[in-house]
Amino acid sequence: MKKLISILLVLAMVFSFVAVTAADDSVTINVVTSYGGDDGNRKNFEAAVKAYEEATGNKVNDGSATSNEDWKAKVLTDFETGSEPDVLFYFTNADAEPFVSAGKVVSIEEIRKEYPEYAANMKDSMMAVAADGKQYSVPSSGYWENMFVNKKVLEDCGVAIPGPDYTWDQFLQDCETIKANGFTPIACSLVEVPHYWFEFMVMNNGTVANHLDVPASVEDEAGQKWVKGLNDIKDLYERGFFPANTLTASDAETVELFNAGDAAFLIDGSWKVGYFTQNAADINDFAIAYVPGKGDRKASEAIGGISMGYFITTKAWNDPAKREAAVKFVEYLTSDEVLSTFVTTEVTALANGAKPAGLNPLQQSAADTNANVTAIAGAVQDLLTAEARGDLFANIQNIVTGKITAEDALAAALALNK
Amino acid sequence: MNSMIYKRKSPLLIFLIPAFLFLLVFLYYPFVQNIINTFLKIGGLGRRAEGFNEPWYENYARLFTDPYMRVAFKNTLLLTVCTVVFQVGIALILALLVDTIRVGAQFFRTVYFFPIVISATALGLMFNLIFLYKGGMVNQLLLSLGALETKTMPSGRVVVTWLDWKDQAHFLFTMFLPVMWQYVGFYFVILVTGLNNIPQELYEAADLDGATGWTRTRYITLPMLRNVLITCLILAITGSLKVFDLPWVMFGAGIPENMGWLTGTYMYDQTFNKMNVDYGSTIAVLIVVLGVILSNVSNRVFRRSEDL
Repeated sequence: MKKLISILLVLAMVFSFVAVTAADDSVTINVVTSYGGDDGNRKNFEAAVKAYEEATGNKVNDGSATSNEDWKAKVLTDFETGSEPDVLFYFTNADAEPFVSAGKVVSIEEIRKEYPEYAANMKDSMMAVAADGKQYSVPSSGYWENMFVNKKVLEDCGVAIPGPDYTWDQFLQDCETIKANGFTPIACSLVEVPHYWFEFMVMNNGTVANHLDVPASVEDEAGQKWVKGLNDIKDLYERGFFPANTLTASDAETVELFNAGDAAFLIDGSWKVGYFTQNAADINDFAIAYVPGKGDRKASEAIGGISMGYFITTKAWNDPAKREAAVKFVEYLTSDEVLSTFVTTEVTALANGAKPAGLNPLQQSAADTNANVTAIAGAVQDLLTAEARGDLFANIQNIVTGKITAEDALAAALALNK
Repeated sequence: MNSMIYKRKSPLLIFLIPAFLFLLVFLYYPFVQNIINTFLKIGGLGRRAEGFNEPWYENYARLFTDPYMRVAFKNTLLLTVCTVVFQVGIALILALLVDTIRVGAQFFRTVYFFPIVISATALGLMFNLIFLYKGGMVNQLLLSLGALETKTMPSGRVVVTWLDWKDQAHFLFTMFLPVMWQYVGFYFVILVTGLNNIPQELYEAADLDGATGWTRTRYITLPMLRNVLITCLILAITGSLKVFDLPWVMFGAGIPENMGWLTGTYMYDQTFNKMNVDYGSTIAVLIVVLGVILSNVSNRVFRRSEDL
């Protein structure tokens, strides 16, 4: 009897194993993107992934997170330790060079040999080119960085919404007025995300044309421009325009300060529009204005471009089971229809252009501001190595508190920029 | 039959070797490799070394000149002292109190042990909310008690000067409190178990001699608990050197103004964020050396009493 039961149990186990194996012919791919946390496109990404899974029967292991220096370091570490995902949505600039030069991602040229229609809906001229002259990533939506304003705070303080001719002196005066009314003029965590202000302060001490010049030394023209920009941030800090806890607060805290109507200005990117769309009590309280201009830079000149795209890793490409699933995933996420759900006012590389529908007041405000933007430059920080950038931004808190001079901080960062 | 098993030692090896091999591959080999890494130039995890440092002891020399390392070292030693005094101290007091009650002892054991089973990340997020600058639980409490300065602007807007629990004046308290709180229960359970092992006859004899209350605790409980206490102290000291997760979630990279480093968080930041793997490895070696020295010192100071 015992033998019979044992045989039956073994047979049942074998049959169930065979049944599961036969029924589950789907492929699971590991995907890492920056559409995690409070990213404005998180819901759109989740919907797109779900639709892909339903259409193909494949499964997606979503390892997305919020983009910051920690996340970038983790992605690079994953590549170096052989734990890279199958598909990665990542920066296409110098940040990608370590894994591109190591041959850990597949070029579009290589993919097109087997899938000729891969990224056919994109303008090839707008796809990022790596140091070896090849294209590796399929671009998603682009970005812009500009000044978000809390209209209600400005109104309560009797300050006008900044226009395309907004000057630095006017800005300093407005900040004093806002501060005198008990509000925080600028929402920014200098310890966590000083880079938006860094970009514009550097541009304010140069021009949009030379914005992408990376200093070779502290003494050269670009170096002096960066030093002046860093000192402008210090000046704003000393005037008390940043939140009282700017050196201990997280980005989420200062953004909430702005969202809650306690701060007037916030420099951030196009991705933040989605955040306010979802979290603002009244979206009509917010608008996209202009970062004040200084010297040769006009307020109508902004930061922007297409900086991120989808990479297929060599590991996935060499896995016959995953190759097709990874290609289909990227094709689906970058199709005209799906990409249009991610886009409101951003530029894209789509040959036919994106067709966003039903803009809310903040999105419309962004579209109106972008229509007045006279020139645009990419973010110069993207041209630094991760080590140099991390060191420079970590030192901004020391610059504003006078523990280190802007010159010394820049020299230390440039020494790491190899 | 049993005696035969003990006479033939070779079968024991079969059971010992797998664990030994596991430790060899996953502990001793990485440890030795880590020491070698401290002399090399490695610009990222998994990257090939670019040769030896010049001079080869560069990273060790840097340990003595790096101001942030000094901060990390100082904070970690302070944390160790606080751990010994407050973590083990509070655990001892709670254990002695719970040992004296007959009803509800199990309830308190569960309650005090509970923080241990919650992940440090979740605790970090929870304490972040408790100590949040604007509208955090503690600040709201202080506001309702009138302990925070408020100012009414001409527009009628009331501006509150919130207390920044992560600033230079408060960060040590904000960082250490959750760490203390989390592990009190761990030592509490060990000490309660130790208390349960003290023979009841001793207390009965003490009662007959008229010893009660503090006298009983001073002359019977504490001496009998000595070895357990020493174990707790060594665990607390070595554990405090490795603290990482909770402070990292709450304070990240050295908040405030690079004054909030611990050896664990500084090692992580150097290795993973600054891509300075060789220097991170050197800090790891320092942590191990400190652990060995401090546990040896504590062993010698509180030498185990063999007669108990």
